[in-house]
Amino acid sequence: MEFITQVVINGILFGSMYGVAAIGLSLIFGTMRIVFIAQGSVIVLFAYCCFWLFSLLGIDPYLSLIPIILVSLLLGAGFYYGLFKEAAALKDRIGSLLIAVGLMFFLENFMTVVWSPNPRAVVTSYGFVVFHLFGINLTLTRLIGLLLALLATVGVATFLRKTLIGTAVRATSEDVEASTLMGINPNRVNAVTFAIGIGLAALAGTTLATTYSFDPIYGFDFAIKALVALTLGGIGRVYGALLGGILLGLIELLGTYFVGAGWAQAIVFAVFLLALTFRPYGIFGGASEKV
Amino acid sequence: MKDRIDTYIKKDKRKISIIIIALVIIAFGTVPFYSDVDSFFSYYLFICFLYIILAQGWNLVAGYTGQISLGTHAFFALGAYTTAIIWLHDVTKTWYYFDPLVMVLSGLVSAIFAIIIGIPLLSRLRGDYFSFGTLAAAEVLRILILRGGKFTEGAMGLRLPGEGFTGMGIYYWTALLLAILATAVVYFITRSRIGLALKAINEDEISAASHGIYILKYKVSAFAIGAFLMGVCGSLFAYYLFIVSPPAVMNLNWMFLPMLICILGGNGTILGPIIGALIVGALFSYADVYVGQTHPMLSGIIIILVMKFMPTGIMGLKDRISPRR
Amino acid sequence: MANQLLEVKGIDVSYGDIHVLWDVSLQVEEGTIVALVGANGAGKTTLLKTISGLLRVRKGEILFSGENLHNFKPQEIVDRGVIHVPEGRRLFASLTVKENLRLGAYIPRTRPFFAESLERVFSLFPVLKNRKDQKAGTLSGGEQQMLAIGRAVMAHPKLVMLDEPSLGLSPILVKTIFELIRTLNEQKITILLVEQNVNQALKIAHQAYVMKTGKIVMCGRGCDLLADEEVRKAYIGERATKRKG
Repeated sequence: MEFITQVVINGILFGSMYGVAAIGLSLIFGTMRIVFIAQGSVIVLFAYCCFWLFSLLGIDPYLSLIPIILVSLLLGAGFYYGLFKEAAALKDRIGSLLIAVGLMFFLENFMTVVWSPNPRAVVTSYGFVVFHLFGINLTLTRLIGLLLALLATVGVATFLRKTLIGTAVRATSEDVEASTLMGINPNRVNAVTFAIGIGLAALAGTTLATTYSFDPIYGFDFAIKALVALTLGGIGRVYGALLGGILLGLIELLGTYFVGAGWAQAIVFAVFLLALTFRPYGIFGGASEKV
Repeated sequence: MKDRIDTYIKKDKRKISIIIIALVIIAFGTVPFYSDVDSFFSYYLFICFLYIILAQGWNLVAGYTGQISLGTHAFFALGAYTTAIIWLHDVTKTWYYFDPLVMVLSGLVSAIFAIIIGIPLLSRLRGDYFSFGTLAAAEVLRILILRGGKFTEGAMGLRLPGEGFTGMGIYYWTALLLAILATAVVYFITRSRIGLALKAINEDEISAASHGIYILKYKVSAFAIGAFLMGVCGSLFAYYLFIVSPPAVMNLNWMFLPMLICILGGNGTILGPIIGALIVGALFSYADVYVGQTHPMLSGIIIILVMKFMPTGIMGLKDRISPRR
Repeated sequence: MANQLLEVKGIDVSYGDIHVLWDVSLQVEEGTIVALVGANGAGKTTLLKTISGLLRVRKGEILFSGENLHNFKPQEIVDRGVIHVPEGRRLFASLTVKENLRLGAYIPRTRPFFAESLERVFSLFPVLKNRKDQKAGTLSGGEQQMLAIGRAVMAHPKLVMLDEPSLGLSPILVKTIFELIRTLNEQKITILLVEQNVNQALKIAHQAYVMKTGKIVMCGRGCDLLADEEVRKAYIGERATKRKG
């Protein structure tokens, strides 16, 4: 019994990482209808940044988080203006997907060539600190990961609800043309959205680096899982995305515990297909959400 | 008077098109005679033909159902694995090697898989959700292959006995034939009354909803035919490569390159995928040789550049109007 | 010569290859209500969309307060004080009433007046004040129309262009809306009104234009057009015409 609880806890902690990635995907997809399949590779890229800052310069991963996030916001805006602006304007689904795929290929290959395909992980001095609570082991770094995920989720949700730009983002998600009639500049809104998406990727990347090992090609797998989490949570729902991620983490780890890693993956996708078929608006979704 | 002239011109255009097509086919068909059949050029064209088959299959689904399928690599792989398994287990007691019956069977397996996932996905999901669904189905297949034990040999893949190899020629012509066939199939289906009617209905969601089951039948059929073409293509590739493994046949390249080809060539046209395949094939196979290890990086950049600056493709360049905004 | 706030001069507009507006000219005098009527598909909505920047102009000029709006982006046109309330309202259904109004005052120019504008809207439409935290999608048709107009008011507009405000509303609500339009006009807002309800539109309009298949076919004072036989027959209905003899 204790062991299952351990798996459940791990599932939640792991899943929160998927959740953070999913929020980013959700925002980008919601406003621009872009399936940003490169999200996973971007997360891995940031994991590498975290890793190198730690290994070469000795900077603690949680301290490097701040500059990394700032850089990521700029990068996100850069991605939008540099890569996706035209496709977003034309609502070109295939085009934007292909661009995202191109970016993913580029990043994966770049990281493999430059940093070698060997797995890495950030191991800090406190990385082995474990709390023992009611017979369950809680790794410090994973707890911090969960905490960061929660903070990010609340942060983004608050931003969307309470700020003017956040409200503009929500409006643009719903109806771009009408939002331009309010004087909202869709490019600025999209750039902000993308920036947040990449910022969340940076956060997830740090969590990934400090809690698990990663390699350059992990990106696609991660992106697919984020997509699953997004679907479970329902597009456009920030808290939903986080919960979707956690649910996914639970399914994955419980599945691994009961039937082994390989089949657990199959279960994940089976759940995905079921969710798509029967609850496309998310498990928590209402009867008629905007798509 | 003007109308009669127009009709004459149309008839002439038709004749000219047919002559051009015939010439092109002859040109491609005779390549192995004037260029060394085992040369890189033949290999390049062979790969182009494979991509044309896949692209036309994808094109059919995209045009007919109005949905973007992200499962091309799954159908391709299914065809390849079916062929390999049949061959290794000597299921059909006919030729060991390069058996058309096996190729057809491989295509059928893919088509059946398409029907199985097509019915739930096409009936319930629209747009991006459908695409996610096909991607998920493809990943499920990948896992099944990896976990297939002795049957599929997991990540290492199946090795096929190489004695039958007699030279590039037969592959080349088979690929060319299949490419022509695929193009013809797609051409006739999309130009048929059913094809045009479906296209109109796709653009009107309310109409689509009220036509329900009949639409579904045709959509699933298109999906299955596309899958069949992809499966046969996979079978041919298996015969060529002698190794069938996830990296070889379930590579994401097989999924998105056909899409890129259709877009580059010009979305929704029949000639488009052919032109697109020739260009993309050139970029990727020569890049593979010269730039080797970093070629996916280059590929990535190329895709991005193409989509940014030529989203309507090459066929679209000729009638580019300035965009709205 | 009276102050022409908006001058549309001989514009041509196309949707891709399809030519939809042909040499359209129109003037809106400051402080007036101008009606634009015509059958479905006549091009009225297209004209509004062109003025508000959603569509490009192929030929001709659009002058607002003397400034050529030629192919400005919609945001820049909103900034000049031209507010388009689109056909079907196009509210943000998942946002609350208050949030919709908040976005009405998105342009920096309007933000200092936010509190004041909000008060103004709530006094014009008390119903909106009651429902301010409700999602816009849950409002009734009439309330939605009021919200759409209220949103325009939040933008501190000089010219408000209304596209079919009476669409889908009961006759009583239609009357209310038209009274509101009059009230807004009394508060110094110039109105360009596109309507299928020709009777009501011509009643409150100072000036009116009739459009047919992408061209302006008639123009004149509102009351004159209202009395005109052709207009009455084509757009209002036989029963309004007195048979002679």
